[in-house]
Amino acid sequence: MVNKWATFAILVFFCFFLALPYFWMISTAFKPLEEVAAYPPHWLPRQPTLHNFALAWQAAPFGRFTLNSVISAGISCILQIFFALLMGYAFAFLKFPAKRFLFMAVIATMLIPEEAKLIPNYTTILRLGWMNTYTALIIPTVAHAFPVFVLFQWFRSLPRDLIEAAKVDGASHWQTLWQVVVPASRAVVLVLTLYSFVNRWNDYFWALVVTDKLAMRTLPIGLAYLKGTQEGGNQWNLLMAAALFATLPLVLLFLVTQKLILQEVQLIRKERFGN
Amino acid sequence: MIEQSAAVHLSHPISALPSKKFPEWLTFLLWCAPNLLLFLVFTYYPFFFNIYISLTKWNFLNPAPIFVGVENYLRLFQDSDFWRVLLNTLVYAFCTVFIAQTLAFVLALLLNRPYRGMTFFRLLVFTPQVTIGAAAALIWILLLDPQQGPLSILYHWLEIPGLRWLANSNTALWAIILVGIWRECSFSAIFFWAGLQNLSSEVLDAARVDGASSWVLLYRIILPLMTPMIFFLMVSGLIQAVKVFDLVAIMSEGGPVYPASATFVYHLYKLAFRDFQAGSASALAIIFFVLIFGLTLVQLKSSQRWVHHG
Repeated sequence: MVNKWATFAILVFFCFFLALPYFWMISTAFKPLEEVAAYPPHWLPRQPTLHNFALAWQAAPFGRFTLNSVISAGISCILQIFFALLMGYAFAFLKFPAKRFLFMAVIATMLIPEEAKLIPNYTTILRLGWMNTYTALIIPTVAHAFPVFVLFQWFRSLPRDLIEAAKVDGASHWQTLWQVVVPASRAVVLVLTLYSFVNRWNDYFWALVVTDKLAMRTLPIGLAYLKGTQEGGNQWNLLMAAALFATLPLVLLFLVTQKLILQEVQLIRKERFGN
Repeated sequence: MIEQSAAVHLSHPISALPSKKFPEWLTFLLWCAPNLLLFLVFTYYPFFFNIYISLTKWNFLNPAPIFVGVENYLRLFQDSDFWRVLLNTLVYAFCTVFIAQTLAFVLALLLNRPYRGMTFFRLLVFTPQVTIGAAAALIWILLLDPQQGPLSILYHWLEIPGLRWLANSNTALWAIILVGIWRECSFSAIFFWAGLQNLSSEVLDAARVDGASSWVLLYRIILPLMTPMIFFLMVSGLIQAVKVFDLVAIMSEGGPVYPASATFVYHLYKLAFRDFQAGSASALAIIFFVLIFGLTLVQLKSSQRWVHHG
């Protein structure tokens, strides 16, 4: 179809477009100010410096932004997965009269976009006096039908004997969940946690609406704030240093979990199909 | 299966007491309670309350919204900003999804070829996914700058004056679309590649043995097998794309002359939190909900005709 060299040529072209932004961000983050506006542009900094990171941290409270992002994204994602595990287990294994109706009601929430709840939720936050609090950043973002649905489907696909055996051994549902079901679902739980964390870390809209004090802003909004300040506004080396800093946790997370997820998936394949 | 369940060992087997005391329905309720409560307070209540606010005039501050019927909707339909924003959003969504996914499919086919070095290319393709939206918006402002950044080399070489994409009402939206394509292309390429990896090699080998050329293989076997995934990515891609907010908020704020590059959600934000028109913004939110709902239905309907089930 397409020979080897053509394949590589087209790939290089594609990847240039896709990877250039990240490359340019790293390169600019280490350039001294004089080099940023140089013509022709330097692809790599001639005199690389770490000074930009310190300057960016002086220009805006990035330590605080990071703390806010870690707390809100971390707790929100842990609670989301925890509640989804409980609900997924209940829907998959427990009997209840109105279960079908409740299940449909939960799945139907996927049809309601965040934007169609924004204004009432904002007024709720105002009335509860939650503006500029972690509670406001966390609680309304916790319940999600997607992880519930995925976990429910996964739990249903688990071998029935697994649950029955636990019952015969006299385990409570709480024990069955944590000692049998969750260990058999590690990869799914890990992927859902990761997905949820990245989404929360990326969030720009909700965090922008429920905070207006600088000290409660999260990293994405902090970046946009730095762009608007005197010190950071036109100093692209500072802005890129800050942007690089904000993306690093995701890079680390993916480097760590990429191997983990592959291992988990292989482990499960071994457990289930014996090869 | 049997050996497996026998291998399951509980560290603290306990007597059947708790399950006797604790009826199953109560466990069900308790375990569903946190999520159900949150869905009630932060999803169902706001959704219906939003419908009510959209029928009122309110600025968040007055003690109570004043009921005005469908006036907000009528005003929106007569407002040229509304139509411009709707058009912008649809142009953004369809351009990013169709261009990005076509490119992504070609990219995935290439990444799936059995040559050395593909891991490196996959890593490069993945970089947009670890770049958070706000950072991406900043990087692209720099990249599109006609004086600094790699584009200046191109302009110089072509001997044309640098185009200031974001400062021109005709091009600002296209600059944002470019960033959207960049983001979506990377995302879909990874998914398509994973899908291609899952295709059964037996089917492909059988077709090859039967003498199918690689183009025939692509059209007759790979594409039909991939349609469920293409469909899934199209639906979710379009729904994601019409929600674009961060890129617009950071790159152009809907400008340079509002609403040249404003999208639906940015307009919603502006109406609610800049103009404090909670009623109009809520009406916009309801229209947005209908738009997303409609998109999902259209996609589901059309998919029945061409998605290969099997």
